[in-house]
Amino acid sequence: MSRLFVLAVNAWQENLRGRFFLLSFFFGLILLYVSLLLGILAADQELRVLVDFGLALIEIIGLAGALFGACTALLREIENKTIYLVLSRPVRRWELLVGRFLGLMLSAWAAMAVMGLFHLALLFLKGWSWENAYLWAWLGSCAKVWVTASLGLFLSLFSSSVMTAGAIAAILWTLGHFLPEMRALIARSPDQAAALPMQLLSLVIPDLQCLNLRDKIAASSFDQAWLGLGYAALYSLVWTGLSVWLLKRKEF
Amino acid sequence: MDQAIAALSFKGVGKTYRRSHLGRTYLSRGVEGLDLDIARGEAFGLLGLNGSGKTTTFKLALGLLRPTMGEVSTLGLPPFSPQALSRVGFLPELPYFYPFLTPEESLIFYGRLSGLDPAGLKRRVAEALELVGLSSHSRRRIAELSKGTVQRLGLAQAVIHDPELIILDEPVSGLDPLAIRDFRDMLQRLSDRGKTLVISSHSISELEKLCHRVGILKDGRLARLLTQQDWRSAPGGLEDLFVETVK
Repeated sequence: MSRLFVLAVNAWQENLRGRFFLLSFFFGLILLYVSLLLGILAADQELRVLVDFGLALIEIIGLAGALFGACTALLREIENKTIYLVLSRPVRRWELLVGRFLGLMLSAWAAMAVMGLFHLALLFLKGWSWENAYLWAWLGSCAKVWVTASLGLFLSLFSSSVMTAGAIAAILWTLGHFLPEMRALIARSPDQAAALPMQLLSLVIPDLQCLNLRDKIAASSFDQAWLGLGYAALYSLVWTGLSVWLLKRKEF
Repeated sequence: MDQAIAALSFKGVGKTYRRSHLGRTYLSRGVEGLDLDIARGEAFGLLGLNGSGKTTTFKLALGLLRPTMGEVSTLGLPPFSPQALSRVGFLPELPYFYPFLTPEESLIFYGRLSGLDPAGLKRRVAEALELVGLSSHSRRRIAELSKGTVQRLGLAQAVIHDPELIILDEPVSGLDPLAIRDFRDMLQRLSDRGKTLVISSHSISELEKLCHRVGILKDGRLARLLTQQDWRSAPGGLEDLFVETVK
């Protein structure tokens, strides 16, 4: 457990000291400022636009950082050969993978929390009053980032390119927002055999609709919201487990 | 510590690399039929041309690669076992570190991974920095260090946990003559303290000065095993024996 913690702290330090997270953080601040301008354009619905646009930006920026980090976490260790100095010690491969991923996710969530605080400060300045749904929406975004990053980590282990792994994960993230519609189309398909590849794909794609927790809270479905978080945890753990299995088979 | 158990043992070891590309599988030989025992406390050198299997041999000893055939044991244990790896230090050829850390932070990181307790870690870091002459650079970022300084840090991380067996892959590659002499002195001190050293190098004269025995690899096979007596009694020394073997 202590080695896991040491590796997580190392990944945390790397992400906090790295330029990418710093840039994404400032990028987020600038974009949140732009959301103020958008709010002015939507004069009647200013606060609503500010809330929605800000939360969407926090998720996208958090996702970009976490996905890039997940896709490079082990590839960069292998390319830079820093992995030799880690795996030639009494470190189990699962400790390396889980430790680095844990550090990455903690830094991504920390960046999202800082952006969230900045966003809240802007909202309060505009006269917004606190709603618990905001917290649920933020938690849902964190869960989506976790789910997608765990997919990116897995894809990076059998892809030699960060771009390929990142692009596939980003496509799956996009499809994940339309999974219920996709399932409905599959069910209505007259040729079930032809729909089989889509059915298989639908098993892999994360259901990100169920992580739009703000909608569930608005409908007072707290059970559904907790279920969504449980689903995210389970989905991420399965892909992280598969990543560990792949890493154990690798030779360096 | 059981002195009868070899520090490193290879019994009929073979390693074949498989690479697939566009549906075709390509095989290449890393090592073949390797039989070798390295005793505890010995300074053993591995010589060979590029691609002769030196790095493959080291990676097999560290569990980074699995043998295709035969058996490898490190300090009498499977090479990938945490119990074995906690007693081994490794300096890879051109060691790479996390550039965002300082030498001191790096040594703390590797010391913790090696299982050192927090109480003794600070002392071990100071000792390792002192051994390699890096005390004055301990708080600079690694990205700012010269190649020779990084190589010294490489040795420091390999000995931070006071291992019994130290494996060094081309430790003096690219160093200037003064740094090479410093490195030789450091390795000699470790050898004098009873550490087992396994060193690969293209610098024949360094191995000649430091090692008790030298193995020459050719095309993945152990072509010759020489003792100090062999190269001291040969007119052209170890260099002529090496050239004669690999030609």
